[in-house]
Amino acid sequence: MIVNEAAVRAVGVTKRYGAGQTQVDALVDLSADFGKGRFTAIMGPSGSGKSTLLHCLAGLDQPTSGQVFVGDVELSHLPEKQLTHLRRDRIGFVFQAFNLVPTLTAFENITLPLDLAGRTPDRDWLRTVIDTIGLTDRLKHKPSELSGGQQQRVACARALASRPDVVFADEPTGNLDSQSSADVLGFLHRSVREFGQTVVMVTHDPSAASYADRVLFLADGRLRSELLDPTAETVLDTMKSLDPAVAG
Amino acid sequence: MLKIGLRSVLAHRLRFALCTVAVMLGIAFVGGAMVFTDTLATALKKQFAGSTADITVTPVDPVESRNGPPPTLASAVVSEVAAVAGVAEADAQLLVSDVQIRKPDGSTIDTYGLATYGAGWPHAISTSPFRLIDGQQPFGTAELALDQSTASKAGYAIGDQVRIVSATRAVTAKLTGIITPAQAGPAAGAPLVVFDSATAQLVLLGKPGWTSIAVTLKPDADTEQVRTAIAKAVGDPYNVRTAAQVEADGETALDTTFGGFSSILLMFAGLALFVGAFLIVNTFAMQVAQRSRELAMLRAIGASRGQVTRTVLAEALVIGLIGSTLGLLLGIAVAAGIHFAYQQLGAAIPSAGLQITPATIIACYLIGAVLTLAAAYPAARRAGRLSPMAALRDGATIPERSLLIRLLFGGFLLLMAGCLYAVANHAGGMPGAVLIGLASAMALLGIVLTSPLVSRYAVRALMAPFGRKAAVTLGRRNAERNPRRTSATASALMISVALISGLVVIAASAKASIDASIAAAIGTSDLVIGSSDPDTFSPQVADRVRKLGEVAAVHQVRQQDGKVDDIPVRLTGVGDGTLAGPISVTLDSGSLDGLAKGQAVVPRTLAKTLNVSPGKTFTLVTTSGTHKLTVAGILSPNRQLNAIVVALPTYESFGGAPADSLLYVDVADGTSMAQASTAVLSELKDYPSIQVRDQQAYAAQARGPVNAAAGVIGMLLALAVLIAILGIVNTLALGVVERTREIGLLRAIGMDRPQLRRMLRVESIAVTLLGALLGLLVGVLTAAAIQRVLVDDGLGVLDIPVLQLIGAMLVSALIGVLAAVWPSRRAARLNVLQAIATE
Repeated sequence: MIVNEAAVRAVGVTKRYGAGQTQVDALVDLSADFGKGRFTAIMGPSGSGKSTLLHCLAGLDQPTSGQVFVGDVELSHLPEKQLTHLRRDRIGFVFQAFNLVPTLTAFENITLPLDLAGRTPDRDWLRTVIDTIGLTDRLKHKPSELSGGQQQRVACARALASRPDVVFADEPTGNLDSQSSADVLGFLHRSVREFGQTVVMVTHDPSAASYADRVLFLADGRLRSELLDPTAETVLDTMKSLDPAVAG
Repeated sequence: MLKIGLRSVLAHRLRFALCTVAVMLGIAFVGGAMVFTDTLATALKKQFAGSTADITVTPVDPVESRNGPPPTLASAVVSEVAAVAGVAEADAQLLVSDVQIRKPDGSTIDTYGLATYGAGWPHAISTSPFRLIDGQQPFGTAELALDQSTASKAGYAIGDQVRIVSATRAVTAKLTGIITPAQAGPAAGAPLVVFDSATAQLVLLGKPGWTSIAVTLKPDADTEQVRTAIAKAVGDPYNVRTAAQVEADGETALDTTFGGFSSILLMFAGLALFVGAFLIVNTFAMQVAQRSRELAMLRAIGASRGQVTRTVLAEALVIGLIGSTLGLLLGIAVAAGIHFAYQQLGAAIPSAGLQITPATIIACYLIGAVLTLAAAYPAARRAGRLSPMAALRDGATIPERSLLIRLLFGGFLLLMAGCLYAVANHAGGMPGAVLIGLASAMALLGIVLTSPLVSRYAVRALMAPFGRKAAVTLGRRNAERNPRRTSATASALMISVALISGLVVIAASAKASIDASIAAAIGTSDLVIGSSDPDTFSPQVADRVRKLGEVAAVHQVRQQDGKVDDIPVRLTGVGDGTLAGPISVTLDSGSLDGLAKGQAVVPRTLAKTLNVSPGKTFTLVTTSGTHKLTVAGILSPNRQLNAIVVALPTYESFGGAPADSLLYVDVADGTSMAQASTAVLSELKDYPSIQVRDQQAYAAQARGPVNAAAGVIGMLLALAVLIAILGIVNTLALGVVERTREIGLLRAIGMDRPQLRRMLRVESIAVTLLGALLGLLVGVLTAAAIQRVLVDDGLGVLDIPVLQLIGAMLVSALIGVLAAVWPSRRAARLNVLQAIATE
């Protein structure tokens, strides 16, 4: 497995909101590499800029300065249309909630990015993904007929359906109970281990971060620390060392 | 609660703007109709309803015909009136409409649809409606007087020769006097030509007689007493009225005339408001659904059910009042525009300023407010039912009421409509047509109620040709996701389209029927000579045409109005051989032989109504009296001849005016139609109102009124379509707001802007096509049913203009595309991140 090649790179990314007195720097000159075939977690307290970083990496938001590369494509100068197509073809998304289109069945939701691109799905790959999320018998159901955990697993399957360069997950377990969280995280973990996918996940849950290969710690828009092969304990320890408030 | 309502309206300006526009358009019709009618009526009553005589005696018109020769009274009656105690003077007057005054170049003076009058010079100055300004009173057949305005407009001076064409005769005479326009009575302000009274009788009536007697009372006489005495002296067939009564009757007549116009406007106001109501219902339903959390929060902090309901109703009231105000202003502007246009035409309508009565203002506000409140009420009530707990739950939704009652009621209406169709079919004729209209209204309402049930499948079927691309599937599913909303939006369009397509089919059928009957009826004749304004012309015309070498034969046809058992009928006099040649007829029973013996041929529908068959008799009332007629035969439906037919000698014995309505001309052998036509035209060039037409032209002219009527109604209906389109724009725009998060998600996972626009476009087209198709279905079926019951009444042929209707469907799809433009632009502009973060 090639681990030193980056799927996504941030180079000197700064994101500034507002101007003058109300100016806030969400990200300050941040650089980071996210290796291919790796599962990276981004952690940090509220307002640390972790979601902003994810949005900039995914081409949903434009950095004020600095560059973002997905593969060898630099995002900051891409026009809106190509940015959209990049998201569709090379990036997968899992949001905290409201991931699915209510009018479409689970299966239609999974193939939606492919349908939007007008691409024929790779049937074997699709079957593998669906088998892995374990919802074969619920594919014809509408999202409203699925539990929260099932909905998130469908969202994960959708993110992987197009074999993207990278899957971004923004607090994917934020609204789930522990069993459902374990299912979703286990699935993301397997997609990296078994299928060689790349996953970048924002979370504030140390046990969720423990599924990752690497954890980046952010505070005040800056990269503060990094942990390889984390466990829930080592993650918690690192958080404590960075933010005294967590220790209490 | 009003405060919260007002704030809410201000906060969601855009959302409410479309509602306001819908109310405004409806109210503009109401206001415009009322202001215009009031203005016109005030202006006209001021001048037309006056009288200069103390008592007026007029012959009763048994036919109440608006065209044709006026009823007359004999000189003997004048003497009888003059002999009554208390009468100082009884002046016989003669006033006839439908006279043409020619300009020096031979064309008719412009009257803009108003009648031109001819009168006899009055004996008494006191009761004369006009005065001599310049020159001398005309005397003899070679002299006449004109009113000042007509003379100066046409460019005549005293001493000029002026040509006058009446229904019975054409004369040229010297202008000897200029008079004021008539100051009162029906001819007030209208173009007027005056002869001495003997000449007036000859030229205007074609026979001796007067049209009224103006009575002046002795100074000490009691008006009512004298009126009673006169009435007693002259007997039944005369109206004896005091000046006050004449005035009141004049006002009633004006109300009848303009009442028709204003009730048409009010009908469209009703339609516009009805269609607009769908828009309001939808807006408030969506509005309440979107704000359910906010409203539940109000409940949680202690607002009662009633208070929440009233908050929503307060918003409706604000919209109703704003919409009514704007609508009233727009209506006044429209009325002013129409009034201004009338004035510009130079019509002799006196200006009276715009009449904006309190009644108009109250009606506009009342209708606007009540309608909006009623349309918002269901949503307001559901808002009140929200549980306070909904404030705490994510994505709180208001439970929809079951569709069951709606479906049952809708199904019942559809069933009733079906029964009514059957009854109508049995009844036939105009009553049947009215019943069918009623049945269709019920069917439309039934469809409105039941369509949520079928809209999903209908949308799926309709959109199948658009393929299965992701954006198309999404758009279609969006149209299916809320059947109530989709069907309410589509219903507004359905009603408009049903009316329009019904109109299109009926108009096409009417035209096709005219063509078919003309082709069948104008058998052998080559040319048809007719006239408009006046509708009849002097027999001199027939004599002159008959003398032409290019003409083999001329068939004269005379027509007048009459009544049988109080049913208005048309009486036609035809010459020998007219029914064998130029007009081809078929008889259901009997024969034409009886015509020569003074008997009559009766059309089938009339015979059915009167329950007569050959050999039976019936009583015909005409202007000149009552006549007993024996039925010789029953006529199959025939457009050329939908009248009681008698031979010309019989017609003349009834005292009808000696004037022809139509001449059928057979061209001589060896002469081409063009040659004959040219010869006839050049012979008759001093009769500009006379038209010489071949079959094609005659058919085209007969179709004219159908086209004009369909055009006007179509334009007004287009407004209803406009409101329906606003409704679609509204639903889509609100749908975009409601689904902001979903749109954000779609954009995030790779839906590009063209795809987003396509998604909304497909939803819009789905709703539009659903409405258009249902409307088309109801409209065409209604028209076909109406044609079936009116098959004997001039709608013999059903013509469904398929191409036009397919065109209408395509236009509907285009409307759907256009309606989606603005909402999809808004959707495309949404910031993806903000959209995802939306509650």
